[in-house]
Amino acid sequence: MRNLPTGLSNTLLIARRQLGAIRHDGYAVFLLGLVVALGLVAALGARHHTTNRTEQRDRYQEMVDRQWLEQPERHPHRVIHYGFVVFREHAPLEYFDPGVSDYAGTSLYLEGHRQNTANFGEARHSTGLSRFGRLTPASVLALLMPLLVVIAGFAAVSSEREGGTLSLLLTQGATPGHILAGKVLATGAAGALATLPVALAVAGMAGPGPDSFASGTRLGVLAAIYGIYLAGWVLVTVLVSTLRTSSRGALAQLLALWVVICIATPRVAASVAGALYPLPSRAELTHRVEQALNEVGDSHRPDDPFFRSLREEYLERYQVAAVEDLPVNWRGVLSRESEALTSRVFEDHRQELVAGHLRQNGVMAWSGFLSPYLAARDLSMGIAGSGPETMEAFQAQAEAHRYTIIQRLNELHIHEIRNQNDRAQRLSREEWGQFPVFETEAPPLGGALADRRVSLAALGLWIGLPLTGLGLARRRMALMGTGRSS
Amino acid sequence: MRAWARLLTLDLRRLTRSAGTLAAIILLLALGIYGAWRAGRSAEAARTSLAAAETAYSDQLDFLLSVYPPATDAGEVLYYLAFPAPQPPLSVASLARGRAEVETESLRVRLLALEGQLYEHETVNPRLAAAGYLDLAFLLIALLPLFIIAVSYDLISGEREGGTWNLVRLFASPRRLLAAKLASRAILVGAVAAAVMAAGALMAGIELDGRAGWMFVLVALHTVFWFAVCLGVALGHRSSTANAMILAGIWVVLTILAPAALSLANAVLHPVPEALELTVQQRQGYHEAWDLPPSETMESFYRDYPQWNDRIVPEDVFSWGWYYAMNHRGDQAARDASHAYREVLRQRDAWARTWSLFAPPLAAQLALDRIAGTDLAAQLDYQDAVRRFHERLKDHFFPHFFATAPIDAVVWDEVPRFEPAAPAESATRAGFPATIALMLASGLALAVGARRAGVHGNATAS
Repeated sequence: MRNLPTGLSNTLLIARRQLGAIRHDGYAVFLLGLVVALGLVAALGARHHTTNRTEQRDRYQEMVDRQWLEQPERHPHRVIHYGFVVFREHAPLEYFDPGVSDYAGTSLYLEGHRQNTANFGEARHSTGLSRFGRLTPASVLALLMPLLVVIAGFAAVSSEREGGTLSLLLTQGATPGHILAGKVLATGAAGALATLPVALAVAGMAGPGPDSFASGTRLGVLAAIYGIYLAGWVLVTVLVSTLRTSSRGALAQLLALWVVICIATPRVAASVAGALYPLPSRAELTHRVEQALNEVGDSHRPDDPFFRSLREEYLERYQVAAVEDLPVNWRGVLSRESEALTSRVFEDHRQELVAGHLRQNGVMAWSGFLSPYLAARDLSMGIAGSGPETMEAFQAQAEAHRYTIIQRLNELHIHEIRNQNDRAQRLSREEWGQFPVFETEAPPLGGALADRRVSLAALGLWIGLPLTGLGLARRRMALMGTGRSS
Repeated sequence: MRAWARLLTLDLRRLTRSAGTLAAIILLLALGIYGAWRAGRSAEAARTSLAAAETAYSDQLDFLLSVYPPATDAGEVLYYLAFPAPQPPLSVASLARGRAEVETESLRVRLLALEGQLYEHETVNPRLAAAGYLDLAFLLIALLPLFIIAVSYDLISGEREGGTWNLVRLFASPRRLLAAKLASRAILVGAVAAAVMAAGALMAGIELDGRAGWMFVLVALHTVFWFAVCLGVALGHRSSTANAMILAGIWVVLTILAPAALSLANAVLHPVPEALELTVQQRQGYHEAWDLPPSETMESFYRDYPQWNDRIVPEDVFSWGWYYAMNHRGDQAARDASHAYREVLRQRDAWARTWSLFAPPLAAQLALDRIAGTDLAAQLDYQDAVRRFHERLKDHFFPHFFATAPIDAVVWDEVPRFEPAAPAESATRAGFPATIALMLASGLALAVGARRAGVHGNATAS
């Protein structure tokens, strides 16, 4: 019965001892300060960035909406070419983790007869300086915080062994379990101490707002993910420190591990994904689309087989001799049918590209087993709502919106514009206010997590493996301890 | 001399006996060969992409000529035709990819307003782009220093901690020992780097011209810089652990933090307006023209093309001259915004290159991209070349439109071809500032180390 409190107090004693050692280590304290400062700067910078983008987006959205409404009386087909512009709304937590948003467009010009790609994001205007991306709270937590954990904990057990205090501790009644638990606790506390200010800053910025509840849930899940990820680093650090005979060897090995996990593997994985599932180049894709469009035909071309049969069908249905005598506008009908055909061609090719992306992303997800950094980042962007699926949803919703509006304009052309003297007629300005407004809907949190089961499993493994390792190390230490004390 | 050679071989053997070093060498070589293979693939992909633009053009031309009767207005057929503007990459472009993975240099442009066609990008998967790219430049600039650190952080402290330092001092001059140890590490690192570069040159088919030479010089000096940093730190009287932490810290600051901080400052100092503004303005300028009398559009058209101010288009019926002049009006409307946009990007580029000189590895990386023609400036130069091409196409075809010429009046062999942008800077100009920065920084690192060593009563100076 008295064993438990003793065990606990032993553990706490050792943890306190280790924290004292960390406090006296100038490098660890300096690094801790640096990481905290960087985290805060990153949070402020990211917030500034997001606010800027949001303001800019709002300003332009307002401008293009006004331009749309202020159109003069126009022929509907004119308006099809005029098109409209939509912007993606930022996810509430995008400032924490911008995910892939810098590399995916945030605005899209939608027009008839063609599908544009979302204009490219921030990365397009970068000078190639930052090959590690922007400094964001997420990158501080995932990339730099592990370094702090390593520095705080690499000597945890090895220094005790080097100084000969390990066997002393063991003979004085501390079990290997107490020692390891104490070391893990202390290293974890140092990591938590550095993480807390960043976490508080991020949570504070999420602040009260219309989405504060949803954001709150997402923030909670994010905290859990980063907690697990960093806990894995704590366990690995203490484990390596236990296994290596010298602190110096432990540090070298842990730094090498950090380089492999956080720096090398993500790039190798991305490169391998690209090599396994290459995408067609823009030039090839445009060529293919062009050829497919040539095949489906063009209503502007005389003697196009598809549109000739369409004409015959309409003449038959309405029992008239010439298209000019149809009760509906023939050019509008042509435009509608043509839009249906070309949209399918564009959409098929876009889907092909999306399928390629998904295959590549699958490689990235499975690489999470080699690099928990990738798994954590994947989950992080999913929860923050800045993952690839958000960008894809934006593209898909924008395309659906485009199609709806273009076909609505075509219907107006068909029913409101007479066949005779077609091009001279105009729709009244009131029409412009009748069109639906584009709204993006971000994928829900549950879906984002369900799609990331592989990354969740990888993260589970990242914490499970070192735990098992520590269990084994404890047993070995117990044997060694008795061996030495006897 | 023989004693020195024996010292050297002894140390080399000691180095390669370590399992960690061996693993690192194998890993680096494997990554290097993989990177070289990818470089070859990307060179091939670039060729395919260029060829695709040419093929697409001739296919489309054949198709259009086969479906449109020869008497069709040239303006109508040309509406559908996109002219290829393929920019052949430099031979060394596959070694330092820079922005080449996300930008395309194989655009095709139609005679319509240009601003909406100019900013098409490569079919990149954002998830992969966000993870970062692995090219040989990254391997040699970002990863190789870590290997140098791994083999050199305990250069002196390791001997001291192992108890061999005093022993060695009895038999050899410490200076000579240090030189031998440095030389053996330089041989090892140099061999790895040389193997990686040779693999890259062979597998990607690099021409060994001045650009390749400058890249080699930059990588070599950058490697020397990291040796200088390691030596500078090693000369201080610290433990191996402290050295490892300091060197890893320097690497993190120079490789991750400095670029992130500089990028942030650059973005704040040179804000880029919403890129879509160009499209919005062009669209507004073009579509307004449909609601204006043709003469008004032509008025502004003649301002840019006074040579055609005697070509009058009909006021009451559609004409292709008017149609393409309306498109030009779109570009006119976007002109200021487009100018400002490019100006800000040029400023960003210049600013980044200047300030990167304070973090020499960064300067080396930017210089590599610049020599390879894969940096921001190269992209802007390409866009300017496409602008010139578009102008030449307009010069060629507007007389056809004004004369309502039929499509069979076009002599296709006389249609202007794209003239690729010449590299803006010689390799020397692109590489020189970075080499100076690297040499100065190396000297600085050594001087700081030597001074510290002196303050503490130098062990090597005895």
